Amino acid sequence: MEANRKIIHVDMDAFFASVEQRDFPELRGKPVAVGGSGDRGVVAAASYEARRYGVRSAMASKVARRKCPSLIFVKHRFDVYKQVSSQIRAIFAEYTPLVEPLSLDEAYLDVTENLRGLKSATLMAQEIKERIWQTTRLTASAGVSYNKFLAKLASDHRKPNGLFVIKPHEGLDFVAALPVERFHGVGRVTAEKMHRLGIQTGLDLRQQTEAFLRQHFGKSGGHYYRIARAEDQRPVEPDRIRKSVGSENTFGQDLDTLAEMQGGLAPLMDDVWRWCDRTQVFGRTVTVKIKLNDFQILTRSRSALLPIRERAFFEKVAYELLEENFPLPRPVRLLGVSLSNLEDTHPYEGKQLTLSF
Amino acid sequence: MKFVVSSSVLLKQLSAINGVVSTNPIVPILENFLFKLEGNILTVTASDLQTVMITEIEVEAGDKGAIAVPAKLLLDTLRGLPEQPITLNVDEETFGTEIISDNGRYKLSGENPIDFPKTPSVNRGQAVEFSSSALGSAIANTLFATSTDDLRPAMTGVFIQMGAENATFVATDGHRLVRYRRTDIKATADTSMIIQRKALNLLKSCLPSEDMTVKAEFTSSNAFFSFGNIRMICRLIDERFPDYENAIPTNNPNTLTINRAEMLNSLKRISIYSNRTTHQVRLKMTLNDLVISAEDLDYSNEANEKLMCEYNGDDMEIGFNAKFLIEILSNLSCKNITFELSAPNRAGLIIPVEQEDNEDILMLVMPVMLNTYA
Repeated sequence: MEANRKIIHVDMDAFFASVEQRDFPELRGKPVAVGGSGDRGVVAAASYEARRYGVRSAMASKVARRKCPSLIFVKHRFDVYKQVSSQIRAIFAEYTPLVEPLSLDEAYLDVTENLRGLKSATLMAQEIKERIWQTTRLTASAGVSYNKFLAKLASDHRKPNGLFVIKPHEGLDFVAALPVERFHGVGRVTAEKMHRLGIQTGLDLRQQTEAFLRQHFGKSGGHYYRIARAEDQRPVEPDRIRKSVGSENTFGQDLDTLAEMQGGLAPLMDDVWRWCDRTQVFGRTVTVKIKLNDFQILTRSRSALLPIRERAFFEKVAYELLEENFPLPRPVRLLGVSLSNLEDTHPYEGKQLTLSF
Repeated sequence: MKFVVSSSVLLKQLSAINGVVSTNPIVPILENFLFKLEGNILTVTASDLQTVMITEIEVEAGDKGAIAVPAKLLLDTLRGLPEQPITLNVDEETFGTEIISDNGRYKLSGENPIDFPKTPSVNRGQAVEFSSSALGSAIANTLFATSTDDLRPAMTGVFIQMGAENATFVATDGHRLVRYRRTDIKATADTSMIIQRKALNLLKSCLPSEDMTVKAEFTSSNAFFSFGNIRMICRLIDERFPDYENAIPTNNPNTLTINRAEMLNSLKRISIYSNRTTHQVRLKMTLNDLVISAEDLDYSNEANEKLMCEYNGDDMEIGFNAKFLIEILSNLSCKNITFELSAPNRAGLIIPVEQEDNEDILMLVMPVMLNTYA
């Protein structure tokens, strides 16, 4: 099925920033960052004008301002982004039911069998881009190929407002020429490690044995081995169910004491629990994430055999996980807590009931 | 230090306590047996820091001394030797240990006995005596229902409540619960504790086959058991046990009385056809009829059987995990059992019709939701 699939990856260009520039004409043509401008703020999205100065999303606002002193910070308006996102998804739905949204502004579409009976995925991608422009006055980039991995690389290739197609016979060559840091799933640290091993491009990567990659990169080695061959069997999953629920916060001031951190964790647990309460979906695994002020990240998690349905129990485990990290070498910048291994506890067919003590 | 002992006697005693020795202990010294010789009594200790087991063996010696000997190496050697007197010769300077048999010599390096963790001592505990068979059946009836969820440590052991009238043993994993009561185990003062499943498992496996008296003593942190030449000390689980009495429903208007073995065998057959992950079976009760059925939609498998029973109550259909029912019914030994039920989403109670002398057993199992009631 590999070579026969037709996958489109659609990615909105600088989504949050573009929405702001669309709605506030005075921002057009200017370097704009969506996010908090304070000392502790983080850039959620940067306009293309800002990117020319090296401003990137997830960058500390302080650093962004240093790179681009004329940078204009605007507050996010998630309600608007969500509304635009549903407009876009409505367009996708006219082409195929197989839409897998990755975030508000990004999705995979499997158009192998499409609702329009169209043969050319390229023409469909072109049409989708135009419809998005007509409906939202925003531009998107699209990538077309025979699997998700290549489609995503393709959409990235001609950004912004681009359309790029990687045909089945081109996949291997495209990947071979690519620097490893451009591969999805290869971060800065992994890329550096690959460079040290003499692996610079997809071609270098393809020349390694799977055993060698696994030896150096563990489980991910197998993934790298396959993507270096442009292989990716993952289906487009329209109903990807939520795998975890979490909340995190970067604090205005670094936290030093356990009491401060417990105080910081409490509202995050509120967030998580509110969701569990509303959906009646509970998780078995509690994870606590701690980011120190040198950006080092510590995570600890623990799993119960049954879903955690008592709030007190969830809080007890989270606090324990927090305490187990003490003493910390540095003050804390960010705390996060999440529940994963989610299970629906609605009584339904085949559901084993539990004693409520 | 030097002593002579029968290889099979030593093997038997070491095997009795070897279960405590874990293959990958927190401190490496715990891979050893601690040997202490005084006159002609050799005391052997094994520990995993939570549980300590001690046995005494009579040997030929006139010596005094101590050594920590690698448990696995020693046991493997003894298992391979034909029955014969063997000599253990220990150099207490180097901790080198030599086994001399008719077949030859085996040298193994021991460790400094001082490094072996100290055994907690009995300190004005509450003393109780009971028969080994009573303890054995209390453990056998409850252990299977304990949880393995380390996040809920209270449920990973058996809760024991002793009073002037009787002793109650309770185990639950949240899906099923056993309450096992004995009137021949009593204590002068009310006392309760949770004992770890591993300790109880070890205790069960080394209880003698012939009935004898077990002396027990309980402090706030440890339980001590001694019988024959074996002693065991285990750390209690320091947690609050769930309020189990409130979880046992009292008003159950529907009762089903049935031959235990017939129902067990039927369940074993029917469960073959149940879904492999849920093991769900349906029990449908009408006047004096029980129909047990299962289906696995993925494989189009299905089966049903009709059993004779005595049923009083409204017609009802309830789902259970067959594995839980099978486990409960196999643990019981009575001829007939009674199910007490109220609703398809409420706990079912399983009670032996004929209770043995001194025994009062109640088992509870939570149902699986059937689509008809979703």
